[in-house]
Amino acid sequence: MSDMDVGRDDIVAMLASLGDRPAADIPERIDSMELAWLLHQAEQRYGVPMEPDDSQLGRMGTVTGAVDVLRELIGNGKR
Amino acid sequence: MSGDLAATSPDWVDEILLRGADTDVCLHSDAPIDRAALRRMVGERQSRLAAAGLGPGGSLALRLPPSLAYVANLLAGWRLGAQVILLDHRLTPFEVDTALERLAPQVVVAPDRTRGGALRMFADVTESVAAHPGRPAPTPHAVIQLSSGSTGPSKVIGRTAADLIAEIDRYTRIDGVPVRGERVVVLASMVHVLGLVGGLLYGLHAGVRIRPPDRLTGDSIIHAVAAEPEPVTVLGVPFHIGLLTSVPDPPALPQLKRMTTGGELVPAATAAAFVEKYRVPLGNMWGMTEVGVIATDLSGAHRPALAPAPGLEVRERAGELLVSRPQSPYVGLSDPTRWADGWLHTRDAGAVDPVTGLVTVKGRLDSQVSVGGLKVDLTEVEATLGALPGVVAAVVLYDGVITAYVQLTSPGTAATVEAGLAERLAAYKRPRRLHVLSAMPRTTTGKLVRDRSVLGQAPREGS
Repeated sequence: MSDMDVGRDDIVAMLASLGDRPAADIPERIDSMELAWLLHQAEQRYGVPMEPDDSQLGRMGTVTGAVDVLRELIGNGKR
Repeated sequence: MSGDLAATSPDWVDEILLRGADTDVCLHSDAPIDRAALRRMVGERQSRLAAAGLGPGGSLALRLPPSLAYVANLLAGWRLGAQVILLDHRLTPFEVDTALERLAPQVVVAPDRTRGGALRMFADVTESVAAHPGRPAPTPHAVIQLSSGSTGPSKVIGRTAADLIAEIDRYTRIDGVPVRGERVVVLASMVHVLGLVGGLLYGLHAGVRIRPPDRLTGDSIIHAVAAEPEPVTVLGVPFHIGLLTSVPDPPALPQLKRMTTGGELVPAATAAAFVEKYRVPLGNMWGMTEVGVIATDLSGAHRPALAPAPGLEVRERAGELLVSRPQSPYVGLSDPTRWADGWLHTRDAGAVDPVTGLVTVKGRLDSQVSVGGLKVDLTEVEATLGALPGVVAAVVLYDGVITAYVQLTSPGTAATVEAGLAERLAAYKRPRRLHVLSAMPRTTTGKLVRDRSVLGQAPREGS
């Protein structure tokens, strides 16, 4: 796995850093504040601007969906 | 500057908010906006609203995200002498319909088209203006907002122009607020009281340039701070402290004077981490929709205690903080447990130091929680959940996130229940966790058990 790859554990770890929560306490569903936090954290971590379009945003309401979208965004940022 | 004349005449918008040199830049949204441009935008919206039938004593509902369109329509509505109802743009169509039916505005402004990314702070909105089968404003309030209801429907909170002007005046007399020629980077939503009065209205009045960052990220906030040489205050909620603190190596920001947050208590460790990183004071404010700013500690010297804002008196009675209010802010509600004899019950627990007069807020006495600075009443969530088809019983608690325990007529209906909630409650109000139990734990007298440890141990459906 490269440094630029993103997995479920990475997403959960970034979400857990909001409010210093244990990873086990992170719900599957992501609210709007967590979404802002996640995109901000991902920009810091991967150095790629995170500009999801409406369709991608609609898929970022869950941890599973966020993994897929962040992979797309990081992939696009590398090109 | 306050007075009955200003309170009752729409001239207050020009006198208190829009007055200033044509070339004075008062707002920044993608590009600088001077007062001449803002007055022009307000004038255009005023014509459009008037053409839709809005006039003095009329009622207007704004369902817009923070944006230039929001600012211009708000000021235009007031300038027409109308009452403006503010609806959070995140409310679901169901919640909006309920509010419109109840409040019956004559004109509704909503986004027709919104451009820009998810993190954009000031949305690029083209709005639609539509006549609505409503009635003129039934009260003289300039602004109407809905609380998240603690029992039954939401409370309708009204504030007069005089009350808004009085709050702006309080800000001018608080030591440490930004002053003329300075800037404020507003992160708090301008649809809610902190960003609305503390950011937008005070900024326009005091000649403080209002600058939302382009996007809601730490880097973008820093960019907004560093973009111009004038001293700057960052105004937000505790979530925004975290955004800034998590930027690994921020540049030197000689313009940054302080950050001030309201909306909820700030943990001591969060405050310490911010001050350590940015070396400026982290100010603290306490307020509520019904009043606006009540007490502040802008230097962070008294944390967590605060000094009552000039002109307001705070006292503690039976563990609850009360604030002096000549009139009840609630429209169509006479409830002495909320307001009586010139005192508003804040429903915040706290204490007032008899020697210094400093106020310490200790948390809510009712079921209201703060989600990113937005107030959510858990009883509203529980009542909505309990009223959905297929729900036998429900308990909603807060354990870091809104958590629901529910018993269903059929276990297969969990998805239907979630869909029903999504239809009826804005996303920030919805339970983040929904636990379906085989049977809700009850006391020997049949009451629902609310103890989270008992609920956490209760058998789950299908287990």
